[in-house]
Amino acid sequence: MLLSDTLATAYRAISTHRMRSLLTMLGIIIGVGSVVLMVSVGRSFERYVLDQIEAFSSNLIEIYPTGFEKFGRTLDSLTYSDYEAVSRLSTVESVAPAIFVTEKVQYGTEEISPFIFGTSSNFFHNYGQKLASGRLLTEADEKSARSVAVLAHQTAIDLFGQRDPIGESIRVGSRSYTVVGVLESLGSALMQDMDTPVYIPFTTARAATGQKELSYMSMKSKGDIDLTIADINSLLRQRHGIVNPDGDPDKDDFRARSAEQAAEIVGQVTLGLTVFIGLIAGVSLVVGGIGIMNIMLVSVTERTKEIGLRKAVGARKHDILLQFLLESVTLTLLGGIIGIVGGAALGMLVAAVASKFIGTVPFVLSIPALIAAILMALVTGLVFGIYPAKKAAELSPMAAIRWN
Amino acid sequence: MPSKKAPLIETIDLCKSYFNEELETPVLFDINLTIQEGEFLSIMGPSGSGKSTLMHILGFLDNPTSGKFLFRGDRTKSLNDDELARIRATRVSFVFQAFNLLPRTSVLDNVMLPLLYHPTIPASERVERAMHAIATVGLTERATYFTNQLSGGQQQRVAIARALVTEPDIIFADEPTGNLDSTSGIQVMDALQQLHDDMGRTIVLVTHEEATARHAERIIHLKDGRIASDSKKFKRVRSNGKGKLK
Repeated sequence: MLLSDTLATAYRAISTHRMRSLLTMLGIIIGVGSVVLMVSVGRSFERYVLDQIEAFSSNLIEIYPTGFEKFGRTLDSLTYSDYEAVSRLSTVESVAPAIFVTEKVQYGTEEISPFIFGTSSNFFHNYGQKLASGRLLTEADEKSARSVAVLAHQTAIDLFGQRDPIGESIRVGSRSYTVVGVLESLGSALMQDMDTPVYIPFTTARAATGQKELSYMSMKSKGDIDLTIADINSLLRQRHGIVNPDGDPDKDDFRARSAEQAAEIVGQVTLGLTVFIGLIAGVSLVVGGIGIMNIMLVSVTERTKEIGLRKAVGARKHDILLQFLLESVTLTLLGGIIGIVGGAALGMLVAAVASKFIGTVPFVLSIPALIAAILMALVTGLVFGIYPAKKAAELSPMAAIRWN
Repeated sequence: MPSKKAPLIETIDLCKSYFNEELETPVLFDINLTIQEGEFLSIMGPSGSGKSTLMHILGFLDNPTSGKFLFRGDRTKSLNDDELARIRATRVSFVFQAFNLLPRTSVLDNVMLPLLYHPTIPASERVERAMHAIATVGLTERATYFTNQLSGGQQQRVAIARALVTEPDIIFADEPTGNLDSTSGIQVMDALQQLHDDMGRTIVLVTHEEATARHAERIIHLKDGRIASDSKKFKRVRSNGKGKLK
């Protein structure tokens, strides 16, 4: 029997029982659909996060003090002179020192507890933040340790509502600061925290808190980001007297990390989650496969006479085996295709709805996931179809013809 | 080498038993039978006489337990399942009591079914051959009908067309009128008789009805698994073209 004839026979058997075929496929449709949906939603959000990181943090490097657990003391490994040394590196474009200030901020009766950064004007450049009104922090502010503040978008609204904050006086802890600038919103869910801080000059923060060490440094790299990180690592190890030729992060008392590295971590986490959720969804494929086997067994019993007839007119064992196997594979493949279309459509819908709330979420259809889903459907059809098909092929033609 | 005059079918001391675990149930004993090409033969006998079992062996649906079975002089000893299937696809065909047509399938597709499994007839010839067979049983106008839209007699004629389509050496008809009213029965028997008389087909009819058996030119009576009588050259009944096919 020609393969095309076997396929046509399988198709006819499926289309003759449309409702039953559809119900049989439902498990596969849901299984494949969930795999495609979960993976594409995971991929879409990963793309979204990476886009955000890339947009806001291109060439950005952050240096944190580390080693609290190891050295058993507060994180005081980054000093102002480290900052000055890093500033002199030829591969660095701009560096900003930062001190975290933990105080309440008041204006009139309004009181909030935002992040307060004591930093320099480079900070805004490093994170791509733009001014909405007034001015940014200047070198003059820093030199004179002026009591001035720049407010992020959301904080300005929280404290002043519709009023213009420029020139107004706010209290940070026990000191008064004049608001000199307000930043534009970054307009992103991912960067939401960047819309809430209050920025004061580094020197002012140091005077207010008495803290000599830096909480962290941010900088922009000029060229190759990995080379810049290597420069920073070698400079700071030398300054801190650390011998670490293998680059073991546990031996350092600081960590220089690029946004790209952060993006890689995001990628790894979302990949892990996607694979995990995809596997759970894959379990429903097994359930779907059992449904296929069940219906195919019923079908073999129901069509015993037909099998007998086919054998009586010359069908060989493998003709019957192939016919029933192709039926189950056709069912799972059809279910797989419907599942892919449905899963992808739902994925697009999720991306479209999410875009309305958190900014553009690009829809990503993972081709490897599609191929994996189709292969899983195919394998499900083969694995769960083989037993009923073998049962059909083994039927004796006489017994099958006489069967009632 | 088989001689040119070798009979179509020859059995020598053919026996058949069924085995249920250790229990042997003999069904056929020492069947010695010769069927020449072009014969129209009836195998008669009451229920349990072994006539269907004999037909299944002669029709390559089953193997004998012992004895010889020669087809055109060739010994058919211990053929495997695929070899039996190939012979069924090319040399023999069946008409069953219950018609055994595919439901929700057209007359044409039913008649074409054996051609799907025929090793040498090309796919391009299927429709033409099937339409020719359908014309032979006078159902051309019903070719596109689903089989469940036809009467019992018409359905059995579709089964006859299906048996004809591969141009087999021999057609086995197992109680072909058993499920039909008398008029339809006559039509079906006329159709079989016409195949023999006009086209020279070899037909083996299995029946327990004397009136049906008498359409053949030779009647074999089976009793308790043995040939009780083998009568040839008696006067055949004819329906005088009453139910004659168009």
